[in-house]
Amino acid sequence: MTIETESRQEIAKGQPVAGMPAVEFRNVSKFYGDVLGVNRVNLSIPPGITSLVGPNGSGKTTLMNLMTGLIRPTCGDIRVLGLSSEDPERFFRAVGYCTQFDSFEKGITGRRFVEYSLKLHGYSSEEARQGAHDALARVNLLDAADRKAAGYSKGMRQRLRLAQSIAHRPSVLVLDEPLNGLDPMARAETLALFEQFGAEGSHVIISSHILHEVDQISDQVILLSYGYVVAEGKIKGVRDEVKEHPMQILIRCDRPAVLAARAFDLEMVVEAKVVPAEGHHGPGLLIRTRDADEFYLALNRIVLETGLRLESVAPADDDVLAVYQYLIGSEGGGE
Amino acid sequence: MAVYKRNYKPYEGILTPNWSRFLVPARYALETLFQSRLLIAFLVGSCMMPIFAGAVIYLHHNLSALTMLQIRPEHLLPIDGDFFAAYLSFQGALAFLFTAYAGPGLISPDLSNSALPLYLCRPISRTEYVLSKMAVLCIPLSCITWIPGLFLFSMQAGLQGQGWGWDHIHWAWALFAGSWLWIGMLSLLAMSLSAWVRWKLAASALLFGVFFISSALGAMVNEALDTRAGNILSLGYVIGMIWAKMFQLPPRSTLFGDMFNIRRGDEVPEYMAWLVVAMLCGACILLLNRRLRAREVVS
Amino acid sequence: MPPVIELDNLEVRLGARTILKKLNGSLSGRAIGLLGPNGAGKSTLINTLLGFFAPLSGTARIFGKDIRTDARALRRLIGYMPENDSFIADMTAVRFVRMMAELSGLPPDEALERTHEAFYYVGLGEARYRNLGTYSLGMKQMAKLAQAIAHGPKLLFLDEPTNGLDPAARVRMIKLIREIRETRDIHLMISSHLLRDVEECCEEVLILKDGQIAAYCDLEKERRSNLNFIELETMGIESVFANAIERLGCDFADLGQGRFKMVLTDGVTVSDLYRLAAEKDVQIRRLNHRHDSLEHIFLKAMEAPANHGSV
Repeated sequence: MTIETESRQEIAKGQPVAGMPAVEFRNVSKFYGDVLGVNRVNLSIPPGITSLVGPNGSGKTTLMNLMTGLIRPTCGDIRVLGLSSEDPERFFRAVGYCTQFDSFEKGITGRRFVEYSLKLHGYSSEEARQGAHDALARVNLLDAADRKAAGYSKGMRQRLRLAQSIAHRPSVLVLDEPLNGLDPMARAETLALFEQFGAEGSHVIISSHILHEVDQISDQVILLSYGYVVAEGKIKGVRDEVKEHPMQILIRCDRPAVLAARAFDLEMVVEAKVVPAEGHHGPGLLIRTRDADEFYLALNRIVLETGLRLESVAPADDDVLAVYQYLIGSEGGGE
Repeated sequence: MAVYKRNYKPYEGILTPNWSRFLVPARYALETLFQSRLLIAFLVGSCMMPIFAGAVIYLHHNLSALTMLQIRPEHLLPIDGDFFAAYLSFQGALAFLFTAYAGPGLISPDLSNSALPLYLCRPISRTEYVLSKMAVLCIPLSCITWIPGLFLFSMQAGLQGQGWGWDHIHWAWALFAGSWLWIGMLSLLAMSLSAWVRWKLAASALLFGVFFISSALGAMVNEALDTRAGNILSLGYVIGMIWAKMFQLPPRSTLFGDMFNIRRGDEVPEYMAWLVVAMLCGACILLLNRRLRAREVVS
Repeated sequence: MPPVIELDNLEVRLGARTILKKLNGSLSGRAIGLLGPNGAGKSTLINTLLGFFAPLSGTARIFGKDIRTDARALRRLIGYMPENDSFIADMTAVRFVRMMAELSGLPPDEALERTHEAFYYVGLGEARYRNLGTYSLGMKQMAKLAQAIAHGPKLLFLDEPTNGLDPAARVRMIKLIREIRETRDIHLMISSHLLRDVEECCEEVLILKDGQIAAYCDLEKERRSNLNFIELETMGIESVFANAIERLGCDFADLGQGRFKMVLTDGVTVSDLYRLAAEKDVQIRRLNHRHDSLEHIFLKAMEAPANHGSV
């Protein structure tokens, strides 16, 4: 039915194959005249969901344009599943790009837009029609598919771009802020869609500013700042690497002083700060420790021995937002 | 030591009176406009004609100056209807140029980045907004047209004496009303073009175009139908005609009319000329009403 | 607290469609969130309250003033931060905000003072002397916020205030909004698709669906309600812990990757969980009592049939 790339067939469903060609950047730099896009990027992105995070102007869009073959690097080499843009036939079929901005031909309907895009990939009219239908169904845009795209709301345009990028069943899906303008239900549905793709073994690369959302579904993260990759890898792993900042854990309980006393006995705890009650939360203790694993195990014992009543335990900085703030900070990254 | 923390504070001071709000955009626009040296030079230049006319009037009443300059009184321009009409024509053309320069930048910047909702969510209505922008044109244009004109008239009336002013008061009225007609039409036209077309240069070009093309159209119709009634389509002619009627003179040709050989003639009745002007202004107002909306409704 | 916004059978039609269908209610929070799926009528409601659309029937009152008859007086008290770009490209930020403040009734000198105060407050430094056309997205958002607060409004409408902002700027914007909320004499209405933003900033939430009010809740009350609903994130040998919880006899769901949701039955406490964790050498990395979060409330509202516009 559909044209499948050889690489797609190579991917075993669900299980990433060891040593499998990923999306690779080898010493890639891109300059626009004097202006820096990205500099000396070395990446190897495995299958699954990867989030691309960084301030505006840090090089995210450049990286995405490079990945999808829309621009050529000033130097360095990019391979997507072993293919490069020198081989457009296979390259562009393997990659789908959902851009941040759009511009539709005057008078075109949503359905036609996706159909044309499929025909450009070489599908026959019948296959294009079917493929467009399936893609539009997946993004819940079927009822508006025959209206003019120019009259779409922001969220609908977003979904149309998404439909267009998945219609040809790419193995690598690159999405630039794909949740922009979507209402909460559509966000949840779209995230579920990405999770599905990731589980099937595709590469899904999402750039987003809403960190807690991408945190939930991503397997790995790439942080960019001023055109450089400042961190990449699994989220938990990335946090552990940032050794200059000991892990912060906020524990709300009924007797923080008691907890503090016991905590100071542990040598991996470097700081304990009493946090006053706030709103409907009770008082707590903010602990900084050099070794989170050991601390948590010790906490089990402390709770049992002291009979403390815990209200909540939460790592205060174990997520992408915290890493972002440590590594990139509030000065931003590109302007 | 005292440490001061800055917080958001509500405003509790005095407010400006309601009616004066509409002047705010005008003030800002005029400030920006008068930063242009070219414009100031132009305005200064447009005083040349009034000064020259004033000199002529003076000379009429100053024999010694005449003899000094060795000009014979008969050779001097007579101060009659033609004098003031010519004055209005000339300054009117300058007013047109001024509008072509200053007009297009009035509304298009507000529309091109949707700043209009921010205006309209404040205590200012659409009408006030339009009036404000019109004032930006009306004030300088008045200074070019009827203000010096009336000054010249009163100068002449004063020097001539003997009730000359009352006998010829219709000329003063023609200067005043004719100028305002012209100013009103030009402003509306410029503003609607500015609201319609984003690019300032294009709006300027269109302003010229309106007059140029209408004259051309008038000439074409004349040729095709072998009549002089086509003149009604030529805006320059229409205005020239209304002015002429006000000054009680045969019509002069104005603005591009010469190029198309649209000359004096009474084939077109006066009320039709007024009708054309009214229709044009109405069309401009409709266009402005259509374009100046806080929110576009997509049906 | 006296009501801020009162909706009185408000019905708004645009073109051929009735967008808002007889909305009724009284909103009085310091910060009111406005949520709803696309097309529910959120923007229409805001535009109507601002006076851009005339209601077909019914009316609304802001601070007791009718939007149909007292629109002018109201507009002096309202600040608006639109979702889309809204600026004049070849004006400097200072001039722009100053003009807007003057349009709202401030005398020129006060307007200039308040303009600079607003810029200081939102954090725009030297950039305020540059033309707005040269601004980046984040700076434009800040300029929009500055013009909305410069004239000291009593009701501030924020439409997607964190739109397009990078993570650090988002955090700053949320912080600013919370600070504004703490000021006396100002109320906020925040429309957003990001539930978490609304949760952090608002105490009351109005949820629209298909032009009617699907739900109106007081988030403070929801948070205070005591459910024995616990969420856990563990690290250790997973199935071991899962089995242990099962033996406790509580209702629980295993979300994978060490995450669990459970309801503690009577007699089971958090300490019991810790006992299990200590026995099995499992770390409990995250633990919190889960209240009906906004996401829950929102989803419930979407599923229930709309209750015909009443609050």
